[in-house]
Amino acid sequence: MVSLRIWLTVTVAALGLARDAVRAQTVSVMVQAIPLVTRADPTATRSALTEGYLTQPVVMAHAWYGPLQAIGTLNLEGLTLQRGELTTGGYGEGYVDRRHPHAYVHELLVGAAGTAAGFGASIFAGRGFAPFGSDDPMVRPFEKYPVNHHLAQVLERVVVVGAVRRGPVIAEVGTFNGDEPTGPGSVPKFSRVGDSWASRLTLLPLAGIELSASLAHVTSPEIPQGHGLDQRKGSVVARYAHASRTSSRYALVEWEQTGERDRGVLITKLQSVLAEGAYCRAGASLAARIERTDRPEEEPLLDPFRTPRPPPDLSNLGESRWTTLTVSLAAPPTRAWFVTGQPFVEVARLAVAPGDPAGIFNSGLRYGTDRMWMFSAGVRLWAGMMHGRMGRYGVAETDAPMQMAMGTPSHAAESDTMPDMPGMTHDVQMATSPRISLISSCGP
Amino acid sequence: MRTLKPLFVAPLAATFVLLAACGDSTGPRAADTTSLKPASCSGINLGPKPAPLTLSQTTPAAMRVLGSGAETARYTAEIAVRSPTAYTTTWGVRSVQGNKVNIWDVSGNTPTLVDSVIVAASTTTGDVAVSDDGKLLVVATEFSPGSIVLYDLTDPRKPALVRRFSNDETAPGVHTAEIARINGKLYAFLAIDPGAGRLSRLVTVDITDPRNPQQVYETVTGNPYVHDTYARDGLLFVALWNDGMQIWDIGGCGTGASPEAPKVLGTVKTANGEVHNIWWYHDASGSKRYAFVGEEGAGTIGNSSRGDIHVVDITDPTQPKEIAFYHVDGAGTHNFSVDEANGVLYAAYYNGGVRAIDVRGDLGTCTAAQQDVNAVLNLTRCNLRLMGRELAVGLLDQNRQVYVWGVQYLGGNVYASDMLNGIWKLAAAK
Repeated sequence: MVSLRIWLTVTVAALGLARDAVRAQTVSVMVQAIPLVTRADPTATRSALTEGYLTQPVVMAHAWYGPLQAIGTLNLEGLTLQRGELTTGGYGEGYVDRRHPHAYVHELLVGAAGTAAGFGASIFAGRGFAPFGSDDPMVRPFEKYPVNHHLAQVLERVVVVGAVRRGPVIAEVGTFNGDEPTGPGSVPKFSRVGDSWASRLTLLPLAGIELSASLAHVTSPEIPQGHGLDQRKGSVVARYAHASRTSSRYALVEWEQTGERDRGVLITKLQSVLAEGAYCRAGASLAARIERTDRPEEEPLLDPFRTPRPPPDLSNLGESRWTTLTVSLAAPPTRAWFVTGQPFVEVARLAVAPGDPAGIFNSGLRYGTDRMWMFSAGVRLWAGMMHGRMGRYGVAETDAPMQMAMGTPSHAAESDTMPDMPGMTHDVQMATSPRISLISSCGP
Repeated sequence: MRTLKPLFVAPLAATFVLLAACGDSTGPRAADTTSLKPASCSGINLGPKPAPLTLSQTTPAAMRVLGSGAETARYTAEIAVRSPTAYTTTWGVRSVQGNKVNIWDVSGNTPTLVDSVIVAASTTTGDVAVSDDGKLLVVATEFSPGSIVLYDLTDPRKPALVRRFSNDETAPGVHTAEIARINGKLYAFLAIDPGAGRLSRLVTVDITDPRNPQQVYETVTGNPYVHDTYARDGLLFVALWNDGMQIWDIGGCGTGASPEAPKVLGTVKTANGEVHNIWWYHDASGSKRYAFVGEEGAGTIGNSSRGDIHVVDITDPTQPKEIAFYHVDGAGTHNFSVDEANGVLYAAYYNGGVRAIDVRGDLGTCTAAQQDVNAVLNLTRCNLRLMGRELAVGLLDQNRQVYVWGVQYLGGNVYASDMLNGIWKLAAAK
């Protein structure tokens, strides 16, 4: 038990030398998986389907050595979710009405952060998130991903991300390869690194409040060879998070737009508006999300949940517009040995309508209706301290104070082990502390 | 109505002076009757240079619709007609997946559905062709498992399955399958979709014995797609998307090349790329100097499309050159068929219906006012619309949305496959 804890969260200071004399090393590892049952009624088969999975099986590891940091997230959905997870309205990477399995190497980055003259700065490189949009849905208070996942995040790219922070202002810029993964084990096109870019400006006007705007230009995401449609993306996000020792509150409102362009000519414009919030007290939490998102329609394969990748040409079948209300209720977590489990249920009511342009999309032909339900029940299992805020690196991480209060109690003191960096301000120190998830329990 | 005013005056330079001075639609032209056997391909006689021809610009006429046959359960795709029977394939998933080939009696004005064939394990039967002897029907299937399906047409109204050909090369999906006879053998040229971790490729299959088709050649090509081919007289024209149009010798040049061992003669990158389909035009005078190239830009099926027709001069097959284009605002071209005796190109134009274009004579000579200069590409081209060559438009007067995939001219009629509605029969443009 003791050794396991050491494996999960290891702080080795000095290794026999005085702590003050050397740079401390910190390693934080978290393991998560969610046994889940989902019923989609109806779905792309024009009938109801009920399926079970082990979803979001991930191993997250963060390590620090002085100003250096390494981040790794191993996502094993390629082993447990090869057919995709029933997610009506969801799409991307050759899946439709199912969420695709993510790449095994979800994140693998190294970087460094430091301060000088009141500025904090960091640079990270590796595979991970481009500085665009909102946090990865995996670290938000719902199991089901929103329809807008591919509008609101750009991930699993080979990125170089630089960030500068002064007081309440953070500026990030990154360059990366435009090609999205073609499968869990696919290797990015390293020759395309640098063909796409993203930038994000974040303002922290008040404690717990974060405002950000970001832009991205993604070259040919769907055709690895290039010459596909390019995407110009914009995002505005307002986020609020507050926590005390017994409760926490969270809210997020975002607007996204992606324009798909053929040789610079706008072909398809996809927009999304999403609002979500969560309240957690004494370990139990209630969350709700509403979104309206445009989805590009593609030619299906024999399997109605799959579309050809790469697509056989540059045209689409039109757009559908999804309005989704999701409510999630999670019970207080319980802990057995080193594993924490938190049961939850999620219910989603979905409506789909023709988008603009509708093309040949017809909800009656695809689903037999324009109203659907999704019911999900599962248990979020984790060991170690939950990591969070996926999508920001170095000094761009913003809400360590709030997260600390929501963090798993057994590791609440971990921030104390973080070594101070010479000349570092309190803000910057927070930005380089461990990322602890919003979805871990609140309260004692 | 079009007006034809061919004049024969000697010096070409004087023509431009005259045109500039008068702003009229006439000009002196002297036809070059010299035949051309290019050094790079002496086996092919490209014939004389197309005769000069000047037209005045007029409002395109409406093509007269003779009748239609409905298909509303599936989206209709390509069409092949061997009178009095037409075959239309189907695409994607409507209320039912596109796994059916419809067989129509087109002897009357109104096409009548007489039978159909279901092709198992396919969502799209995107391309269809009938062999030159009328004995074989070839259907391409997408997606995985991509294949070609060969049917015996002893009874043209009752195709009988002979063999389905697929292998690891065709697995991602066969987008098109063009067939041609070369040195007595019948070949199918398959444009293969890219797949997960696989690049697009061209596969050649010897289907002389349809019970025992043999793959004789394959190569990775296209950037990122190879969408179509056009084979004629031992040349193969390959549509390589952003790598342009490529001309292959597959036996016509007399250099020893063959379908099993093709040789690349030349390549041209047409403006905007996205080269989708090709027609090598043999005009009534024997001139074979032009290839028409279809550009398939991005669009929304049922609503919009983009892409021009590009005219490529292949007088030097090693250095083909784009000389003219045809553009429709708000619509893009798809497949072609040419009435070569009368010099009329019919183009499926998706939401733009059917377009009939006068392609007689010299397409590369025009006035400055009829030119389009692309400084970026260092390319000056004639605009066929401004040259008065837009003859007629079809199907836009039917009070319903159309999305035309393919056309075929045959015997004074034009047959059009419409993704949304089925098959149309129109009278040819006058």
